[in-house]
Amino acid sequence: MGYAIGVDVGGTFTDVVLRTPTGTLTAAKCLSTHDDPIAGIASGVTRVLAGVDPAQVSRVVHATTLATNAVLERKGARVAFVTTLGFRSVIPLGRYARVEEDRYDLRFTPPPPPVAAADCFEVVERVSARGTVLTPLDPDSVRRVAARITARGITSAAVCLLHSYACPEHERQVAAILRESIPNVVISSEIWPEIREYERATTTIMSAYVGPLMASYLSRLSARLAELGVRAPIHVMESSGGVISAELAARRAVSTIESGPAAGVLAAAGTGAGDVISFDMGGTTAKVCVVRDGRPEITREFHVGGKGSFGGRRAGTGVPIKTPAIDLAEIGAGGGSIAWLDAAGALRVGPRSAGSSPGPACYALGGREPTVTDANLVLGYLSSATIPLSPSLAARALDRLAGPLGVTPAEAAHAVHEIVSASMASAVHVVTVQRGIDPRGFTLVAFGGAGPMHAARVAERFGISRVLVPAHSGVASAAGLLTGALSTERVISRLDAADPDALFDELARTAAADLGLPLTTPGLELTRSADVRFHGQSHDLTVPWSPVREELASRFSTKYTQVYGITQQSTIEVVAYRLRLTLPPPSLTLPSPSAGAARRGTAEVGATRTARTGVTPAAKEARTGVTPTAKETSTTTRAAYFGGAYVEVPVHTRDTLERLHGPAVIEDPESTIVVPPSWTATLDEARAVHLIRESAP
Amino acid sequence: MNDALTAEVLRNALVVAAEEAGIVVVRSAYSTFIVEGSDASAAILDAGGRLIAHSMATTLMNSMALKVALPELVKDIPLATMRPGAVYVLNDAYRGGVHTNDLLVYRPVFTMGTPAYFAATMIHVSDLGGLSAGGMAPLATDVYLEGLQLPPVRLATADGLEPAVEAILRANSRTPDKVMGDVRALIAGTAVAATRIDALVREYGETGLKAGIDAYLDYTETRTRAALATLPPGRHQASYPIDDDGMNPDKPHHIRVSITLDTGQGGPAGAGRVVVDFAGTDPQVPAAINASASQSLAAAVFAVRCFLDPTIPMNDGCLRAIDVRLPPGSLLDARSPYPCGGRYVPIYAAIEAVFQALSDAVPERAIAASGILQPFSIASVAAPYWIHLAYDFGGVGARPGLDGPDATGVHFGVGRNSVPQVEPVEGRCPLVVESIETIPDSGGPGRHRGGLGSRTVYRFLADCHVTTRGDRLRLAPPGRDGGLPGRLGGFFKRRLDGSIERLASKVNNVRFAAGEAFIVETTGGGGIGPPQERDPALIEADLEAGRVTSRGAAEDYGLPAPHAQIKSPGSKLTE
Repeated sequence: MGYAIGVDVGGTFTDVVLRTPTGTLTAAKCLSTHDDPIAGIASGVTRVLAGVDPAQVSRVVHATTLATNAVLERKGARVAFVTTLGFRSVIPLGRYARVEEDRYDLRFTPPPPPVAAADCFEVVERVSARGTVLTPLDPDSVRRVAARITARGITSAAVCLLHSYACPEHERQVAAILRESIPNVVISSEIWPEIREYERATTTIMSAYVGPLMASYLSRLSARLAELGVRAPIHVMESSGGVISAELAARRAVSTIESGPAAGVLAAAGTGAGDVISFDMGGTTAKVCVVRDGRPEITREFHVGGKGSFGGRRAGTGVPIKTPAIDLAEIGAGGGSIAWLDAAGALRVGPRSAGSSPGPACYALGGREPTVTDANLVLGYLSSATIPLSPSLAARALDRLAGPLGVTPAEAAHAVHEIVSASMASAVHVVTVQRGIDPRGFTLVAFGGAGPMHAARVAERFGISRVLVPAHSGVASAAGLLTGALSTERVISRLDAADPDALFDELARTAAADLGLPLTTPGLELTRSADVRFHGQSHDLTVPWSPVREELASRFSTKYTQVYGITQQSTIEVVAYRLRLTLPPPSLTLPSPSAGAARRGTAEVGATRTARTGVTPAAKEARTGVTPTAKETSTTTRAAYFGGAYVEVPVHTRDTLERLHGPAVIEDPESTIVVPPSWTATLDEARAVHLIRESAP
Repeated sequence: MNDALTAEVLRNALVVAAEEAGIVVVRSAYSTFIVEGSDASAAILDAGGRLIAHSMATTLMNSMALKVALPELVKDIPLATMRPGAVYVLNDAYRGGVHTNDLLVYRPVFTMGTPAYFAATMIHVSDLGGLSAGGMAPLATDVYLEGLQLPPVRLATADGLEPAVEAILRANSRTPDKVMGDVRALIAGTAVAATRIDALVREYGETGLKAGIDAYLDYTETRTRAALATLPPGRHQASYPIDDDGMNPDKPHHIRVSITLDTGQGGPAGAGRVVVDFAGTDPQVPAAINASASQSLAAAVFAVRCFLDPTIPMNDGCLRAIDVRLPPGSLLDARSPYPCGGRYVPIYAAIEAVFQALSDAVPERAIAASGILQPFSIASVAAPYWIHLAYDFGGVGARPGLDGPDATGVHFGVGRNSVPQVEPVEGRCPLVVESIETIPDSGGPGRHRGGLGSRTVYRFLADCHVTTRGDRLRLAPPGRDGGLPGRLGGFFKRRLDGSIERLASKVNNVRFAAGEAFIVETTGGGGIGPPQERDPALIEADLEAGRVTSRGAAEDYGLPAPHAQIKSPGSKLTE
């Protein structure tokens, strides 16, 4: 196998990781170029390839926030929505929940629909729930709609007809006619043929919305990489953690919406720690996910552009997307979150963030409001790295809270730290306890700029006694990409199909076509599952398929008890059939850890153990332009706030760390690991830091 | 940490506990009413009956019932006799409950051997008898026609369900297996929340948790009073009519309210209070348009809160600052055996009356009257039962500077816009949904327009029974400040020959033949300000979106421009 490149474009940094055929990693971290992410990627790729023949790169795996940003910033293509006669109002009417304060807000106005009322059109046709044609398709009605769409200057159309999961014929005919005059036409029976027209329609609409952007972006990226000599196929990470070809990503763009977060979770899964909780806390958001037996939990419905709420993306407040996604809880709090006092004098943190401009007060860029980062600096958990941090500005910002609260700045800072840890804990809660999973046996894998600072405190709240901070925690997501397998899932809604095998065979054929692989490809794995419910209920659960009814019922019953904590007895029915096709990457071995990924400051410093890194001196220089600092031989100390007072604690780096008892601080390139009292830190062979609670309750 | 800091941390934990219970109940229950709607709740209370937290998707109606009924439960079954693992149930509307189909389930949480907290859940269960399948009995003349009444009883012990109670529930339900599935879901929900409360007791200690909760409630009260103190002091009166009681179609009934705002001058700063007095409200009637006290209390509190900072938490601390007075034996505080199943009709009138009184007090936050939810059920004419129980929403009234949202629920933030999902309904019931559309020109014209009503058409493939419980279908929701009322909706039968018959707003088991269609049109919201003052650009946008027709633009807004008729989808069935 050749070299592999992982590219993760985030809000602030673009991380590029190169894995050599022997498994060593080289990383580059560049500032993201928001207007055109390709520039940032190109400079990162150039850096990691220093001294390597680009023709030897056999695989490029990319995690992109393009689709998410297009949705959040409403920058996708204008879409025309085409549906069955009588139902054009359904999208403008929408379905949404009013949660928390919205319920008491008389000035509440529903979020704008994904397609404006005037851009919704109807064609004459009707199919029944059983898939029989009640009214044949009137092609003239489609032509009239096509003319109106083109007259409005719209070039992307989403088609979702009633019961098209049961009979896709009409949608195909509509698409054929529309494509004569409309460049981009997406139909629901190809995107995601699952029952429930509203969610199927929004999934189709979002694909039509981001598809044109994705197609143009990926073709430009491909061309730019070719200029650099990299002609390997580009794979894109799906929301579910598999990777797909660039062509499929453009065609089914909606499935890449959670591309970035998925990569981080794969990194946590790749630590080999077994049952883990992935905890990725950055500047403005944090993401938490459960990984059991190395496999992340998958959800079959999530919402984009909605409100976060208590650690979960609140169902009903955004646009529902039915394609599978790694089931993570996302919370709008991070290092940049601003702390404030509400009308009654209670301390609150977030959801406003100082972002990168003006940034936390301690950045001395003009920010005055106290942030989580300022609190952590006052507490002595952080110190200046490449970005100089001003403790006095942080303290002054914290005074804005401490004065009215009648406490010291340190106490106020500690309260901010605690509240944020509690918010993080609520996200952990959503993905564990709320789903009937006891988190105590899990290892919390912390990464992202702020994750390792809060990890131990979050773990304590759940009686979790193991925290792991991986060696390459600064580029964890990019490294995670390289473990992604070529994979896709197909679904079809059918109520207790007469011939499930034929249905699965058909799903396998379409999935293989999606991946561009023959079904006979060696190593190709087929996983069958089914959505099952009790007869008479509306909510279903996905369980591994069994043709034996009793076995299927038993699997469903087990899952039901696990999810709801209740045992019900009734007959079951199958409502949908699913098939996942996976081609594992050539080598399943995890990228061997190396200090090449360890850096200092926002611009990384090269490895200090060059013997193990596989990083060439030229590459190092190209990557950083910073001369590596000499290995520290002695540790320093500083005052940090533990147990209600400042105490002098040792300050280590991974290079000076062997085994130490908290309280202590371990400084990493972009982050700091806080080791509270009663925790012990050790370094393993993979240079991961393990925190173990000494007296776990 | 000081109290203010604890409040934020604890608030999350308590609300999450209630929320988790709510999720379990909604997902594992059978009742069709809660599947798409949000007729499900979970709450955390203390043994003194204080509401501490409730689930986020909950309507205040439900958690208020759980609060008001808890002292009644404790009256019949003293705390000292309760044992760990036991679960209790009641539905008595005259003792805090809502109506017979809503089961209230409680599980005590013990500290130092005594029940200190209760985890509580409630849903509208699939069926507990009464005049029509699914629990709507719009023509009930007393509570006995509404279904089985349950006084506070022990539903389960640590060993499982009480066999006698299970037998009674089964014997009184058209769908015994489903109703027991619902009951198990309710019990499971309380177990989830109780486990979380136990964990909080361990984390904070018994006294620590109590102190934290006290601080949280005090904090909420402080914020509520501070918000009340910002409203202009004075007394404002309003009334709102109910179309009819279902028996006499021409006689309206009235809810009357007098609201006294007091900024607390002379008292401590920010010690505002409000008295919401419903004196003068019409007396209870032997028809299903009365409400039990808990529901009216919820209506008043909800409506007042809509004029306060919406981010104030909802718990007992908020209730302390709002003094609600209900005349005994009135439409808002019915006594046995006056039926309470149609409680949303009088309490929506109560909410509207409070809205109008407070809109007079605070004109910049005013709202014109709205179309309300229109529940209906469609069921098989005989066993085996299939049932489609749903509600469509009317348009919301306009606000200063803002049009009203279309066909959605403003009141109680009922939660989700519940436009039915056609595919699952058609898969489950012998019917075809012909169309779901907004009704052009149905929003009350005004400087800002009321939200539109919607029209849904169900064509039946088998004979069936239709039951409806509508209001504001005869007396249109008025506009404000020169705005015009919303267009009236209605329930209709389309016969085989295509002719259309308007049904009464409240009908019970009207038989439809296969091939006939049931049409639900919801009422539009009232407008605000004179229509002539509407920005022409907004009228253009409405024309573009199909919210008004060119005829409507000409007739309602005097727009002279010759606009091409915007073709509205579907047929104008009932115009």
